[in-house]
Amino acid sequence: MQYVIVGIGGQGILFASKVLGKIALERGESVIGSEVHGMAQRGGSVISHFKVGDYRSPLVMAGEADILLAFDQNEAVRNLHFLKKKGSLVVNVHDRAALENSALAGMIRDREISVHSLEGYALLKEHMGGNFLFLNVLLMGAMCGAGVSGLSLGEVSRAVKELSPPQFQDANMKVLALGAEAISGGR
Amino acid sequence: MTEVSRTVSTKAILLGNEAIARGIVEAGCLVASAYPGTPSSEILPAVAKFADELGSPMAVEWGVNEKVAFEVAAAASFTGARSCAVMKQVGLNVAADPFMSAAHFQLKGGMLLVVADDPGPHSSQTEQDSRYFAMFAKVPCFDPCSAAEAREMVFDAFDLSERFGIITMLRPSVRVDHCRQDVELGELRPPKGQVKFDKEPSRWVCLPASVKVNHPRLNAKVEEIRAAFETEFEKYNYEVPSKEKSVLGIVASGVCFSVVSDILKGWGREDVAVLKIGTPHPLPVKMVTDFISRQPKVLFLEETYPVMEMQLPDRTGILGRWNGIVPGAGELLPETVADILAKILGMDHPAGEGSPLLRQAMEELKITPRKPMLCPGCPHRASFFSIRQALPNAVNPSDIGCYTLGVNQKAVDAVMDMGASVTMGSGFFLVHKAAGMERPIVSTIGDSTFFHMGLPGLASAVYNRHAFVLAILDNSTTAMTGGQANPAVGEKLRKGDAGRKVDIEAVCRGCGVTFVRTIEAYDVGAGKEAVKEAWEHAKSRSEPAVIIFRHPCMLLRPQQSAVQVKVDPEKCIGCKFCINFFNCPGLVFDEKKSKAYIDERFCVSCGVCVSVCPHGAIGEISGEGE
Repeated sequence: MQYVIVGIGGQGILFASKVLGKIALERGESVIGSEVHGMAQRGGSVISHFKVGDYRSPLVMAGEADILLAFDQNEAVRNLHFLKKKGSLVVNVHDRAALENSALAGMIRDREISVHSLEGYALLKEHMGGNFLFLNVLLMGAMCGAGVSGLSLGEVSRAVKELSPPQFQDANMKVLALGAEAISGGR
Repeated sequence: MTEVSRTVSTKAILLGNEAIARGIVEAGCLVASAYPGTPSSEILPAVAKFADELGSPMAVEWGVNEKVAFEVAAAASFTGARSCAVMKQVGLNVAADPFMSAAHFQLKGGMLLVVADDPGPHSSQTEQDSRYFAMFAKVPCFDPCSAAEAREMVFDAFDLSERFGIITMLRPSVRVDHCRQDVELGELRPPKGQVKFDKEPSRWVCLPASVKVNHPRLNAKVEEIRAAFETEFEKYNYEVPSKEKSVLGIVASGVCFSVVSDILKGWGREDVAVLKIGTPHPLPVKMVTDFISRQPKVLFLEETYPVMEMQLPDRTGILGRWNGIVPGAGELLPETVADILAKILGMDHPAGEGSPLLRQAMEELKITPRKPMLCPGCPHRASFFSIRQALPNAVNPSDIGCYTLGVNQKAVDAVMDMGASVTMGSGFFLVHKAAGMERPIVSTIGDSTFFHMGLPGLASAVYNRHAFVLAILDNSTTAMTGGQANPAVGEKLRKGDAGRKVDIEAVCRGCGVTFVRTIEAYDVGAGKEAVKEAWEHAKSRSEPAVIIFRHPCMLLRPQQSAVQVKVDPEKCIGCKFCINFFNCPGLVFDEKKSKAYIDERFCVSCGVCVSVCPHGAIGEISGEGE
């Protein structure tokens, strides 16, 4: 399974690969991935690669990712070429109209990409007092809800709980469920 | 600070840098010193953490710069102890002087130099290849292809160092440093030998006369090590033979080996042989030429420079950088390697070909990569705004750190390397003076960078009477690399290891600076006044003046009062002044409405932007709910 996780520096992207890694380790699978640190993380575009299985290279090649987990819609579009045919996009959207761009929709149709989207900021505003720090866990929940990762909500939930600082554990559990629920009815 | 991943049985998922750190501690190293720099920064904090966990007595500390860190570690090895210095590629430029000398010594304890390279480059001003530096100094170099191999190489690098009395280099590239992989964990190996410094001036004093002995001895060591790499290091240097008759041979080092392995496996190509080289200097030439002789053609893949390629006695027919088959700059990403391979193997372009529809969508939706910018609430943003407002005509040299991003606010004109903001201030002053001109100069530098290499420049400027303003942007941390302590902070890495804070104001006064003023960075009004006053002082007395803009980094999550702000659309005239000169992620421009607005996803309510709008359109949301 090859994941590409994208977003903007400061959105907590690295946490997602830590969760994936923990689950794989518990399943006894090998993992390798690549993260971005330093200057690029200062509010700029961030990309993290993560591969579970028998791989040597930490990088996912364009056209080979099974899942693109995108914390930001623009970054999703910029990195869509990483998805393989019939791959899955799980994306936080802020401008639905842009997603309906005909060229973009055409590309998604041609490549038979399944799109699972949610309006993360609106959800966090409604349920979490606008605390956007929870976006990473919300997206992990969405990925479970979409049923594309082969990971159960239970195992993701255990991993998130163990990796969360104690003061955020309860809120993270709530947000995870919120993300899963928001997407399970999606297209 | 780095968080070290949890252990499950004997395997854990570690960052490459954590794996290297684990090796350093397990190998019984007694002194480790470093200066933070991406992609190397997580190594030393992880060394401290593992040393605490495994109960190692070792000393772990940040040096104020790489030269300091290197020399501290080198002296430790003179006693017979294992020691380690850690830095990034441009850090080795700073430590180049002792590094070249160290190669000449007949060392006693194993000394490991870890230098992290940044092909790409993701967070650096150069793409230089430290393996060239290993070649220049004539020291052996290990080039790991993964986190797990990097940890393993640490043990062998220490052993090799002791066996030949020579410093060894471990050169991970960014994809090894920042890869996350399952890695085997081992136990602490007791330190080797006893710590004892024996007075031997002929050995430890590098007089010119010693070079007559040292240099030929070094040359002999290189050849002995090359022979060892030919025969004893099969675990790092090995052939992955083709299963069918080979149509191409690839010689790959470092992470390029990992990348090419996954590509060949993915394509199911069993007619390509690969020679993996983990010790690119000194190159095991016999092994490589033997491989070449058995292949119809050979491609060299290595990052970033042609270090192995250049060591070949005969490059005729070799596909690589010298004939332009492999690009001379940039990272060898899987897509790049796939392109090269597809051409050589005469394949149709493989997967990953860009979709014309996707390109069209990106153009129509105006989607471009998002540039890095200072965090919301970053005190540097306010400081830059004050500086530029006070003296809009000034020349603004700056330095290496988060504040380099002040370029977005048009408040940074020139950046070269660490400490150069101070010395460039001197240069700009001198050239204007010699040409009979006057122009204000305001240099900016961070607290960690000031101690790293700003201080010598400041002493020089005082001595030589250079008139410029030096603004020290003190956010009480080394922010760009993830928040490491420095002398201005005073904290140390290991539990129970107390440091002492070095006072920046006192240091500047001690250097002879007569104008030293400290400002709360968020106070834009006071900042502007101080900059004007400092420049007048500097100009009238022909000497540098110092302003310290102080406010903690937002990554330290400081407690501060929240000022809720909004943009009044009636007053906003759409001039974009706030965007162009304040450049906050929380303050964005709506192109359709031609008005600025607060993006509450990013706003941290620092309130500084209230003083930014020349039309008074940014205001505080009054009282209720507070």
